Amino acid sequence: MSGDEITRPEPAPLPRRQAPRVSRRRALTEGAAATLAAAGALSPVLFAGCSVGLPKREPPEVLVGLLNSQTGPMAISSTSLRDIELHAFEQINAAGGILGRKIDPRAPDPRSRPDLFAKRARELLDKGAVALFGCWTSTSRKAVLPIVEEFKKLLFYPVQYEGNESSRYVVYGGTLPNQQIFPTLDWMTSAAGGSRKRIFLVGSDYVFPRTANLIAKKYLAAKGLKPMGEAYVELGDRDFTAVVKKILASGADSVLNTVNGDSNLGLFAALSDAKVDPDKLPVVSTSVAEDELRSLLPKQVRGHYAAGCYFQTLDSEENRKWIEGFRREFGYDRVTGDPMEPQWCLVHLWKKAVEKAGSFETEAVRQAFRDGLEFAGPGGPVRLDPKTQHTNKFFRMGRIRTDRQFDIVYALEAPIEPDPYPQIAFPGWGVDWTKDGVTRGAEVDINGNV
Amino acid sequence: MFNFLLDPDFWFRLYEVPSLERTLYFLLAFVGFYWIGSIFLRPFLRQFIRPTPAANDIVGYILSCFCVFYGLLLGLIAVTAYENVADASANVTREAASLSALYEDVSCYPEPYGQNLRWLLRDYTRYVIKYAWPLQQRGIVPEEGTIRASAIHEKMVEFQPQTPAQEILHAEALRQFNGFLEYRRMRLLSVKSALPATMWTVMLLGAIFNIVLCWLFDMKFVTQLLLGGILAAYLGVVIHLIFDMNQPFRGDVSVSSEAFEMVYKRMNED
Repeated sequence: MSGDEITRPEPAPLPRRQAPRVSRRRALTEGAAATLAAAGALSPVLFAGCSVGLPKREPPEVLVGLLNSQTGPMAISSTSLRDIELHAFEQINAAGGILGRKIDPRAPDPRSRPDLFAKRARELLDKGAVALFGCWTSTSRKAVLPIVEEFKKLLFYPVQYEGNESSRYVVYGGTLPNQQIFPTLDWMTSAAGGSRKRIFLVGSDYVFPRTANLIAKKYLAAKGLKPMGEAYVELGDRDFTAVVKKILASGADSVLNTVNGDSNLGLFAALSDAKVDPDKLPVVSTSVAEDELRSLLPKQVRGHYAAGCYFQTLDSEENRKWIEGFRREFGYDRVTGDPMEPQWCLVHLWKKAVEKAGSFETEAVRQAFRDGLEFAGPGGPVRLDPKTQHTNKFFRMGRIRTDRQFDIVYALEAPIEPDPYPQIAFPGWGVDWTKDGVTRGAEVDINGNV
Repeated sequence: MFNFLLDPDFWFRLYEVPSLERTLYFLLAFVGFYWIGSIFLRPFLRQFIRPTPAANDIVGYILSCFCVFYGLLLGLIAVTAYENVADASANVTREAASLSALYEDVSCYPEPYGQNLRWLLRDYTRYVIKYAWPLQQRGIVPEEGTIRASAIHEKMVEFQPQTPAQEILHAEALRQFNGFLEYRRMRLLSVKSALPATMWTVMLLGAIFNIVLCWLFDMKFVTQLLLGGILAAYLGVVIHLIFDMNQPFRGDVSVSSEAFEMVYKRMNED
């Protein structure tokens, strides 16, 4: 080996891997940061997962169905029913709802067609509506009847009707013939009403006017009187020229009018065209209220009469407050009228029954009717009769003014108890829902002769 | 645990949370995600990049490049969402304006047509404010306004003009009514308009890639938490802004019923 032999240096030993030197300060800082990061990172997930921070979910709303025609010939009358129902439920919701739950009123349009009333009722009940409010004509009510009976849900019906019907699942808030037709005929034939004995009956051609007039004929017959004639037109028809000619030819001294909806426009226009003087041949209507008057020309209707349980001009503190509340919401040119007041009372009677029952279930609510529910309505105190599921009614006669309002010219002091089957027209029939339900008598043909 | 994220109701209910609080949730969610990843995923991901020389520079270049595209995407989406809200707002204003003009037109109709139509128009406006708007805010298309519009139409065609002046007035009122129906239909169509799910997927994936790139930086842990946290927080705020504008009738950046309220107030002054 030569001297200049390269000597390789000993390879340097590989440095021992040393544990990194971490200062206590750095360890503390990074540890705290990691802890903070982990806590911060997990918190939103945990919060969100537990839904903490999201607004508390309110108890589910309770669905109710409002069955009022908003288009078609009955819209003139029943749109205001929808409004008063909405107003009632809005007030109830503003006060916290019923049993802590808000009410969700749904108002589809049955378009004045009975087949659509049945269809809409079924749709609402399929969606879970606990009760239905509305209907106007008896045809629409009778179309809905089998549906509420099938679903075992209640219908609250506010309009005056012919009686001769009782259903476990209908609460009737309108006047019956014994609460409207009888006192009307009493008044017309009395000195206060002008002692008018030659009465002509005119109506729309469906079940209410037909039955109401049958009852009227029987009542008049019991007084020894006979109507001077009868005439019917299809619901929605406006051509009354022939009818007015018939009235004038009959020698009648008054007319009992059971025409419904905007057909009244045609009737009063034809009477006006024939220059009928309301002092000599007054028309007493059963289905004309303030709401219908807004579509009638004052010069055509001034001086005629309407029979009802309520008029806007009723002088009471309760009524003034009610009108103010409605107008504040819907406009100061809006009016209140007969079926609106009963519908308001029916919504509140239902509320009372649900609260008493502690449940929205139909049978529980019906049980709550049994003790006789009462409500201080704008037209006076209302009591629900558990036997008939009808309400007692005040009777008032209004004379139409030029400002589309009524002067109350006659009123009974005490309310009249409901009788859906007046024995003079329906012998043997009766109803008591606290016992056996309907007692059947002999079948009565409403188109038959008296 | 995370099933709630798949529930559409959870996201709808988020709109009911006050804006500031909701912004905070988005911010915390993004920062939280970044921090969790920094603790648990960053050490694992950095194994792939640590041996590469100048790894931070490379990650920085890629992040810059990515941010340009992602920023553009976010910007365009935000503009689209805002335009959606602005269009809905314009339609609402036009509908309210045509309603107001129609109200004035029918006020000149002879009675009882004029009064009946005024009542119906007021009723429609009230319904929109009291019933339709709360439903729209819940993403539900209100149905009963159509009934009210039909009732107005029915009453309008019932009117038979008797003079040439009434004919002109009636023609103008019908023209207003048709315009009103058109704007109404557009309002209803915009109730459910929102960014498509694909856009949300791209946007959220972009945010995740952004954050993943930040995890690849080699720096002190505290610095990583701070700088990346700031970026994640800003991403959360921007995505919250888009979420807020996503549906025209929900959230803070949404269309209010003010135009209808003004018309209703005017109607009730008569």
